[in-house]
Amino acid sequence: MYGGDEVSAIVIDLGSHTCKAGYAGEDAPKAVFPSVVGSIDQMEVDEPANADKNSGSVLSPLKDGIVADWDLVDSIWDHAFRECLLIDPKEHPMLLAEPSSNTQQQRERTAELMFEKYKVPALFLAKNAVLTSFASGRATSLVVDSGGGSTTVAPVHDGYVLQKAVASSPIGGEFLTDCLMKSLESKGIMIKPRYSFKRKEIRPGEFQTVDVDFPNTTESYKLYSQRVIASDIKECVCRAPDTPYDVFCRNPLSKVHIQTFNDPYELPDGQTIEIGADRFKVPDILFNPSLAQTIPGMENFAEIAPSVRGLPQMVISCIIDYQLLAGGTASMQQLKERLEKDLLEESPQAARVKVLASGNATERRFSVWIGGSILASLGSFQQMWFSKSEYEEHGASYIQRKCP
Amino acid sequence: MEAAVVDAGSKLLKAGPAIPDQAPSMILPTQMKRMVEDGSMNDSTLYEDITVDPIVRGFIRDWDAMEDLLHHVLYTGLGWEMGNEGQILFTDPLATPKAVREQLVQLMFETFNISGFYASEQAVLSLYAVGRISGCTVDIGHGKIDIAPVIEGAVHHIASRRFEIGGIDLTKLLAEELRKSNPQVNISMCDIEKIKEQFSCCAEDELAYEKTQNHVTEKHILPDGQVITIGRERYTVGEALFQPSILGLEAHGIVEQLVRSISTVSSDNHRQLLENTVLCGGTASMTGFEDRFQKEAGLCSSAVRPALVKPPEYMPENLTMYSAWVGGAILAKVVFPQNQHATKADYDETGPSIVHKKCF
Repeated sequence: MYGGDEVSAIVIDLGSHTCKAGYAGEDAPKAVFPSVVGSIDQMEVDEPANADKNSGSVLSPLKDGIVADWDLVDSIWDHAFRECLLIDPKEHPMLLAEPSSNTQQQRERTAELMFEKYKVPALFLAKNAVLTSFASGRATSLVVDSGGGSTTVAPVHDGYVLQKAVASSPIGGEFLTDCLMKSLESKGIMIKPRYSFKRKEIRPGEFQTVDVDFPNTTESYKLYSQRVIASDIKECVCRAPDTPYDVFCRNPLSKVHIQTFNDPYELPDGQTIEIGADRFKVPDILFNPSLAQTIPGMENFAEIAPSVRGLPQMVISCIIDYQLLAGGTASMQQLKERLEKDLLEESPQAARVKVLASGNATERRFSVWIGGSILASLGSFQQMWFSKSEYEEHGASYIQRKCP
Repeated sequence: MEAAVVDAGSKLLKAGPAIPDQAPSMILPTQMKRMVEDGSMNDSTLYEDITVDPIVRGFIRDWDAMEDLLHHVLYTGLGWEMGNEGQILFTDPLATPKAVREQLVQLMFETFNISGFYASEQAVLSLYAVGRISGCTVDIGHGKIDIAPVIEGAVHHIASRRFEIGGIDLTKLLAEELRKSNPQVNISMCDIEKIKEQFSCCAEDELAYEKTQNHVTEKHILPDGQVITIGRERYTVGEALFQPSILGLEAHGIVEQLVRSISTVSSDNHRQLLENTVLCGGTASMTGFEDRFQKEAGLCSSAVRPALVKPPEYMPENLTMYSAWVGGAILAKVVFPQNQHATKADYDETGPSIVHKKCF
């Protein structure tokens, strides 16, 4: 129906942290931008990095992985089509990635928006876990997707997600960034957002940082800019420890090692900070969520802590031989080794545990998108598209049948 | 026969045989006039002077006009003969939609019947012209500004940025400013374009720009006899690139955009990218732009300061104006002899999508 080569499908993965969009058949998305919208009065401008200091608040469309505000999603898609990819959605079939636990109502709403507003010729909704599985060339696996907003563990069997066994936890990259930020604040280090200072030349060759005051900045924009810097710190410096953090601390030898593990990091305004134990403490929250309670400022987490399970427990609850690591947070260093080690300790004797993760950090970040690109360019997939004529004939609820 | 290299920009089309250390042999404006074919050649008042821009903001929009333009360039300008067409290399701006590329390939193979085709991105070519394969290109053209980090010959699309502002918006700005200070004078857009090219410059830094408010105004006589005074407007045009608020846009200045775009690339490559920054494009050859750029680079919020690359001595003067063309000539010398391009046989077999497989 829709040839693989002549008409290029577009693959979009709207995540809680970044939105990835690009052509099917390519090995990386063309457009990667934060999935937040800055709103100034009525105007919704995407990519607050371009909007200036007096901008309005920064809003995110997804809450816990589920779409909360459809207007924001709409403006993000519009930005991706018209400004990043420079295409007309009428001419390209769309493959959208959706969370593994998406509701029927959300899917119908997505289909409505795509067909009515953007007039796409064909649409398909694929689950994140399935796409990651395809990206590694497997039809059956257990996918651990650790992204910005949440971590989801979903078993995929022969291309279908086993819905009952999907486990998800709110701990994701953004949560870890918040922990790191609070931890740094409690040590007295203030992260200054990029827009709030300027360098002035006081003498030739010598520079001094001067604070610039923007009284109209909203709290959410300031927090957003700080988060950008904090997540850069996290990406450069944090790594998953080999052993659980409290074991790590109790070991008398490791006390000495903690000193030598201090990593200096230069903030954009020129300040150099040393990050020592936090490098290992923050990633360990993925494995041991109660650790977050020890960070001052995160006490409100205590209410949900008992129900949030650590990564190894979630995985154990659905045992299959191969586990696949995906998602932005999963590209943290040493995460794969640590997960393998923990699983081996806790799993029953008979099960074989093998954790697969592509070595390239970029591939892990975009594995959902890459899976979508592979799927949309397969010849055998072309008859599975949910076309516009089918939508007009049967309505949006038909999507449940077409996209399992 | 030498391969032909064509760099079609929003304002100027640069074309010539692929001889790398020379300037392109043909530099002509892409703006065309549509002639109404009504048979009577004598009465010129019947002709409608509709100006047509085949290339808008870097992308080809009007294919018929483009075809006529290329016809003129290839057969009249480069001296090709019908039936004996050679190989041609085109340059693309960043983020060219796939459909545009395919249509160009189709046009070349079917209408012009060329024997070989290759297309490459302008960012990569500008780096080749200065003898590098990794670095960051800042291409400030007539219709758009592209900032692209290139690592080992591959553009990092995720980090690259494209802005729809360029020389054309600066011309409009200059027109407005001149209209404000010279209310009686009526100047056409192409005269303003010439005034911009001759007189515009960049102030040394922000403080110097503030001081130009009291700048001495000079009187100039236009070709049609009118007298205009030009004072601060010359500096306003250059300043607009560093403070886009003058154009009414809420964006950061060009150096800040460069730093931000590089910060999205993994940090191992930062040093290599920033220390090999190349400025290219017509608007970047404004007087004082490079110095101002370097000054702003010293003030930006980054550990590694952007440093501009010096073009090699054997390259022609004014390399900034056509570095993409020169890079194309260099690449043509490598690609065509090694048969890495798309041939007529490939096109007949696979169709226009061959361009995505062979040319990247």
